[in-house]
Amino acid sequence: MSTLELKDVTVLYKKHIGIKSASFAAKSGEIIGFIGADGSGKSSLMHAIAGVIRFLGEISYKGTAYHSPKEAEKIKEYIALMPQGIGLVLYDTLSVGEHLDFFADIRNIKKDAKFKEYREKLLHMAGLSRFIDREARNLSGGMMQKLSLICTLLHRPKLLILDEPTTGVDPLSRLELWEILDSIRREEGTVILVSTAYMQEAAKMDRVLLFDDGEIIANGTTAELIDSIRPYVYKEDVCQSKSCLSFNKKSYSLENLNGAHSEPTLEGLFFVNALKTSKTLPKIERLERSQKVDLPEVVMEARDICKYFGGFIANEEIDMQLKRGEILGLLGANGAGKTTFIKMLLGLYPIDKGELTLLGKSIRSGKDRQSLKSKIGYVSQHFALYKDMTVRENLIYFANMHKIPLAVAIERIERYSQELGFARYMDELPTSLPLGVNQRFSIAAALLHEPVILFLDEPTSGVDAIARAQFWEILQKLKEEWGISILITTHYMSEAEYCDRVVLLKEGKKIADDTLEQLYSTHPNAKSFEDIFLSFYREKQG
Amino acid sequence: MHTFLNVLGKELLSFFRSVMLVVVVLYSFTLDIYVAGEGIELKPRNVAVGYVDRSGGGMSQKILAKLRTPDFREPKRFLSQKALSQAIFNKEIMVGIVFGSDFEKNYRAGKKAQIDMLLDATAASQSLTTLFYLQNIVADFQSFNLPLRIKSHKLFNQNADNHSFMALTEMLSLITMLVVILTAIVFVKEKEEGTWDIMLLMPVNPKITILAKSFSQVLIVMMGVVLALGFVLFWKFNIPLNGSFWAFMLLTFLYAFSSAGIGLFVAAVSKDVMQVAQLSIIIMMPLIFLSGAWTPIYAMNPLFQILSLFSPLRYYIEGSESIFYRGTDFIDLLPYFGGVLILGVLLYWYGFQKIGKLF
Amino acid sequence: MKLSTIKGYMLKEFTELWRTRLILMVFLMPSMVLLLFGYGMRMEVNHARLLIIDNDQSVYSSELISKFEHTKYFNTTLAQISEKEALHLIKQAKIDAIVIIPSSFEKRLLHGQRSEIALFVDGAFPTRATTVESYIQATVLSAVSDVAGKRKLTPKGVITINQRTLFNQAMRDEDAIVPGLIGLVLLVAPAILAALLIVKEKEKGTIFNFYASALSKGEFLLAKLLPVFLLHSLNIFILFLWAVYLFKVPFRGSFALYWFTSELYILISLSIGMLISVITKRQIVAVVLTVVVTILPGFLYSGMLMPISSMKAESYIEAHLFPVMYYNHILYDTFLIGQGLASDKIIYYLFILVGFFILLFTLGRVLLKKEMS
Repeated sequence: MSTLELKDVTVLYKKHIGIKSASFAAKSGEIIGFIGADGSGKSSLMHAIAGVIRFLGEISYKGTAYHSPKEAEKIKEYIALMPQGIGLVLYDTLSVGEHLDFFADIRNIKKDAKFKEYREKLLHMAGLSRFIDREARNLSGGMMQKLSLICTLLHRPKLLILDEPTTGVDPLSRLELWEILDSIRREEGTVILVSTAYMQEAAKMDRVLLFDDGEIIANGTTAELIDSIRPYVYKEDVCQSKSCLSFNKKSYSLENLNGAHSEPTLEGLFFVNALKTSKTLPKIERLERSQKVDLPEVVMEARDICKYFGGFIANEEIDMQLKRGEILGLLGANGAGKTTFIKMLLGLYPIDKGELTLLGKSIRSGKDRQSLKSKIGYVSQHFALYKDMTVRENLIYFANMHKIPLAVAIERIERYSQELGFARYMDELPTSLPLGVNQRFSIAAALLHEPVILFLDEPTSGVDAIARAQFWEILQKLKEEWGISILITTHYMSEAEYCDRVVLLKEGKKIADDTLEQLYSTHPNAKSFEDIFLSFYREKQG
Repeated sequence: MHTFLNVLGKELLSFFRSVMLVVVVLYSFTLDIYVAGEGIELKPRNVAVGYVDRSGGGMSQKILAKLRTPDFREPKRFLSQKALSQAIFNKEIMVGIVFGSDFEKNYRAGKKAQIDMLLDATAASQSLTTLFYLQNIVADFQSFNLPLRIKSHKLFNQNADNHSFMALTEMLSLITMLVVILTAIVFVKEKEEGTWDIMLLMPVNPKITILAKSFSQVLIVMMGVVLALGFVLFWKFNIPLNGSFWAFMLLTFLYAFSSAGIGLFVAAVSKDVMQVAQLSIIIMMPLIFLSGAWTPIYAMNPLFQILSLFSPLRYYIEGSESIFYRGTDFIDLLPYFGGVLILGVLLYWYGFQKIGKLF
Repeated sequence: MKLSTIKGYMLKEFTELWRTRLILMVFLMPSMVLLLFGYGMRMEVNHARLLIIDNDQSVYSSELISKFEHTKYFNTTLAQISEKEALHLIKQAKIDAIVIIPSSFEKRLLHGQRSEIALFVDGAFPTRATTVESYIQATVLSAVSDVAGKRKLTPKGVITINQRTLFNQAMRDEDAIVPGLIGLVLLVAPAILAALLIVKEKEKGTIFNFYASALSKGEFLLAKLLPVFLLHSLNIFILFLWAVYLFKVPFRGSFALYWFTSELYILISLSIGMLISVITKRQIVAVVLTVVVTILPGFLYSGMLMPISSMKAESYIEAHLFPVMYYNHILYDTFLIGQGLASDKIIYYLFILVGFFILLFTLGRVLLKKEMS
């Protein structure tokens, strides 16, 4: 019998639908994964189940049915919710120990010997025993997530709802989080609902629900789901027609192509679904450039770069080179120092120690950068653009700031909007557009002045699988057709695949720096980049 | 220049697109000033008076008849002195007048006739003024017998119209507040929304960016001033304009820059709008306090009188009053222009340096 | 109600208040406002700059001048300049008023002939101008009546006013303003803090700890509001000390009544804050909204600027719709009057305040939902 059962659950917001008639059931001890992009309805459904938002339909837990947050009160002592956002439920100024006491208090747990023992066990599992007195704001992202998790586990919930607990967390902490979950469900028979942005984690779930645009598009075990799309997946080279998507050495088509099939992945489900609902962003065919690119062999060279914030070391003695026409991936978890490093390269933070050479020019002061500004393009985290100006106005503003003659600017904006496929959104405000569109037009803004180096800070975070795939295609095109150098940061370890070379950061230090071929050859047993980086993390752990 | 106009245009566009800010500015320059002019009344009006009259009428009624609206309410009769005092204690009336039984007799006999008066002084200024009013009324009676007249001229504002004045003062304080807060927000918004970095990476002279950004907010406030002058001050409150309109606009423009300087400083040290609000209040309270808007400068503690010399708002308020009411010649306005200009340049320069360090 | 739960939550609130230094604001702001306004708001006009042009230079005129010189209301200067020059001084805002005593003032007075004293007041600041005008008129008239009375210049008797000022004999502005400021501060500050403590969790996301747990609404509110209540209870004493020892406002009533009413008033204020936290999601909006809804009535209906009894019909009714008026009535009574519970009106007002608290608190409790909006 199912412990948890949902019938036609719908969550409505003022302007849009969060999730539309979702139904599923879960047995005790089961781990159910919610997979989908930002805004696809995972969080809305989790909030409904946790009884923190109004919904239509019925949810029942162990025979107790509820239709509203008020009715859900009776089961709240059995459930726990960990909402999305690193350290979201933590109080900055409280220490680890104080958090545990606080959560024990609000859950009305008796602080007897048994509780103390359980508390110790949780602390130990999370590796936080040594940090009892550290305030939450001084914890790393991974530690925060582990603390949030054990806080929600304190009252031994029977229904655990975790919204993206692993996003942005380093691979090792992620592994540890999954270990905690696994032992909990085995020992306590807990139903665990967990959403994730990482496809690889699907392997750890008993069952997967795929979310797209407010609907559950598939429900089953990983193997079942993969089997379901087998007929639509082909080897790369067979794709010719327009109604065919090709990505990462695989092609997807609903029509029968006379080609060799390829082994599908979970990601493929999104491509197939996109084909079924024909909801893809237009493909990028070409990108033109008016000025020739002339780059030195080494575009950027950093030596022994250090950055301190008070006593905190954000970057420690980092050496890095960016070569001509290369895509360099800077990988690491949240708080590993990726953004800090990029900001130093751009001159947004002063460099505390070390030497930096950009385009053959040694950078010592702000003045050295002035002439370089027009050669660098930058896309910042979350696509920071002016929210109260339309796409067109934003682009014209940037063109003017770069002193591009108006006629040229208008022509270029028009062309990019066509080439990058956001032409029909030109007169809308960025806030009303999907993240994928914002991503495209921020890159257009960064390309307007035809830079020779592109710095991209987490441009794929929160964007759905297809938009991400297409984004990497754009970068590939830029590299091939423009021949410019690109430095990109990401917390998706799997995206290392698309880079020429990767640098891995951990807690401000560089722990790996190599080309793809080299990495695979030194780690012959690795199935994916996740595994390679995990081994680097483990090596440096001691 | 091209960059300057581009940034200016962008800021104006952003401003008009953000409904919240437009509503706040519109509200401030219309309704808020209107309410301030219409609502706050400091001089005693409608004073509730009670009396006990044992004199048998005549003279006493003549005096009471002089207590007229709008300054006084119809005096209310009480039968005993006890009832009268109780009414004062319960704050139903503010002034109690007692005519003793021999009041009329003494007056007619050419002796000293005494009126007893009880005053609730919990509102000190109103009671003091009320007392003077009553003294004047009584003295007026005597002056029928005296060959003396006081010919009083209230210069510049003959009927002591308080509404236009309160509205003007409110507008001047608002200008200070809005320029500081708007300027600070223009910069802090970029910090909050994450566009700050993008702004820094533009291949333009940061000085022009700062100048254009602060100028845009000064411009917005100047538009608000024109609106407030037209719709509220001239149209609704009929404020006299005895001096030159352009002198006022010029003074406002210069003053706005000294406020913008404070705004730049606030922007430099704040991370979010919450901090802007906190800091602006902490900085502006003493500024307004020292400006003479509440307390005349000559009535201040000598130390504060010296400190007030450093408040640009002081020169601005005095100067504006002179332009609107006193109709002072431009030559005599020069000290105000000087004060605003010198402090303005200093403050703006300081704020400019402070925020410039972040670029 | 689980006491240990509430205790645990409150402990967290205090720890946070302490570590985020918000506690400083809790105690600094009220005192700062009291000091700034207490010193800064002066309604009376002292040391007005008066210029006297004496064209008579007689015994009478100097008697009149000395009357002006012996009051704190004026800083008198004598000058022999033309009217035009004097008016120019007003235009430059160097003086506030001019009195011109005509030549042969004394002679005409003695002969019973009409004479005329000219008075010019700078009307740019109207209330100040009206006050200065009445001061001057009263001073001149009383001086002349004195003279007239002494020399029997009038046929009839002389009316004198024997004034008894109640509650504030010296007519000090401090006595009039400082209690009202306490009423203002205790309305604004607890409301802001209460709203902040709740909205902060909404903005940060920690509100989920409440939403998703079995913690009841009552427990949550108690844990949030009790710290505000306790902290601001301290302010009741601090503000009292400032008023009595720094501003030297007399305290004639019962301290117990002051204390009790103030605690009740804080409860009303924090209920307002709770109501605001229901409709806002961001801290800055909560603060601005609280200030807007509390400061204006706090000033207008405080009785500080205008006695309630002299309000016009609409504002008279409006004043009765806000708790400020009732609290301030009791507050002024405990400081300046001292009737205390002997007055029926005060007992009646106390009940009204209790009513306000019950109404606002229940409303907030009902509207506060344990779910996302």
